[in-house]
Amino acid sequence: MNDFNPNILAFCCNWCSYAGADLAGVNRLQMPPNVNVVRVMCSASVKPEYVFKAISQGIDGVLVLGCHIGDCHYLTGNHRTAKRIPLAAKILDKVGIDSRRVRLDWVSAAEGEKFQKVVTEFVEEMRSLGPNPMKEVRF
Amino acid sequence: MLLERVDNPGKLRFDVPYQMAMILTKINRFVKEGKIAIVARRCDEKAIAELVKRDLLDGSRLELIGLACSAEQVEACRCTDPCPSRVDIGQPSEPVKDDQNFAGMLDMSLEDRLDFWINQFRKCNKCFGCTLNCPVCFCDECLLEEKTFAPDKGIPPGLTFHLIRTVHLADKCVECGECERSCPVDIPLLSLRKMVNRDMKKMFNYVSGDPERMSPLLTTLEGDPMEDDPNVC
Repeated sequence: MNDFNPNILAFCCNWCSYAGADLAGVNRLQMPPNVNVVRVMCSASVKPEYVFKAISQGIDGVLVLGCHIGDCHYLTGNHRTAKRIPLAAKILDKVGIDSRRVRLDWVSAAEGEKFQKVVTEFVEEMRSLGPNPMKEVRF
Repeated sequence: MLLERVDNPGKLRFDVPYQMAMILTKINRFVKEGKIAIVARRCDEKAIAELVKRDLLDGSRLELIGLACSAEQVEACRCTDPCPSRVDIGQPSEPVKDDQNFAGMLDMSLEDRLDFWINQFRKCNKCFGCTLNCPVCFCDECLLEEKTFAPDKGIPPGLTFHLIRTVHLADKCVECGECERSCPVDIPLLSLRKMVNRDMKKMFNYVSGDPERMSPLLTTLEGDPMEDDPNVC
């Protein structure tokens, strides 16, 4: 058994995914405690800059959760997320950081179970990937 | 350049060592009326198209004089699209064949690639040459001059600095190679830009410099424009 405990940052949108996380908590769904949730007003406010900063400071994985396409509180906010987060992952891959360390998923306010599933899967994946190589790098 | 009196036009240089689009944005501020003629290579033309799309230049006031790059220039930029839409000066040269794996950069394992880029970025002394000479870097207040993402003191500035430049240029880089040429420590920035541009082509079928289509990062999934200001990074 791999006993590495990844440190994970989850950006949750205020209107859907944060409420989904809340629902998961209220329902007492079990999930790994490795996730630090940051509440943002919309997943579109998660600029790629934030992802890069987190990764280059040694966080093991970044999870960006937003409303399903079409359900955004700001109408087209998550369209922007859907394009820029995969691009950020591609750029990380180009400089040698596994693009699986950044994941985008949609969790609505009613999907407490999906939140649990996404978090558990992501933590397991990061556990198998091992620590972020940027942790060892000193500029 | 504004020439008031031409004494010796025989000494005019055609191997433009600058990005003309950059000079154009500067001139545009004080030449309020009339047309501006500009000698433009293919990359200048594309950079101007990007600026016009974002309403930073008035396209109807511009007259482009197409300049074809020489074979040596094409070779130096590893340019795959060297021929302007209208050639007025020079002979068009053949484009360089697209290097599929960037001289082995994409064949390396992830660990080796990270090692390679970290060693390259360690050389950076944060001179901002790549930013200042970039024809499509147009923000008035640069995010990189803030201490949020790049430390305000100390060099090298770290990985975030370079990744932010990469993502900001992802939808506008015209592969002019000015960043690599102006880099005093020879970081292979052009290769990184080309790799990301190829990803943009794969993901959104978008090539920067397209005079019609707005950047996919500024439109919805259906391709409609978003409401906000396109002049932000």
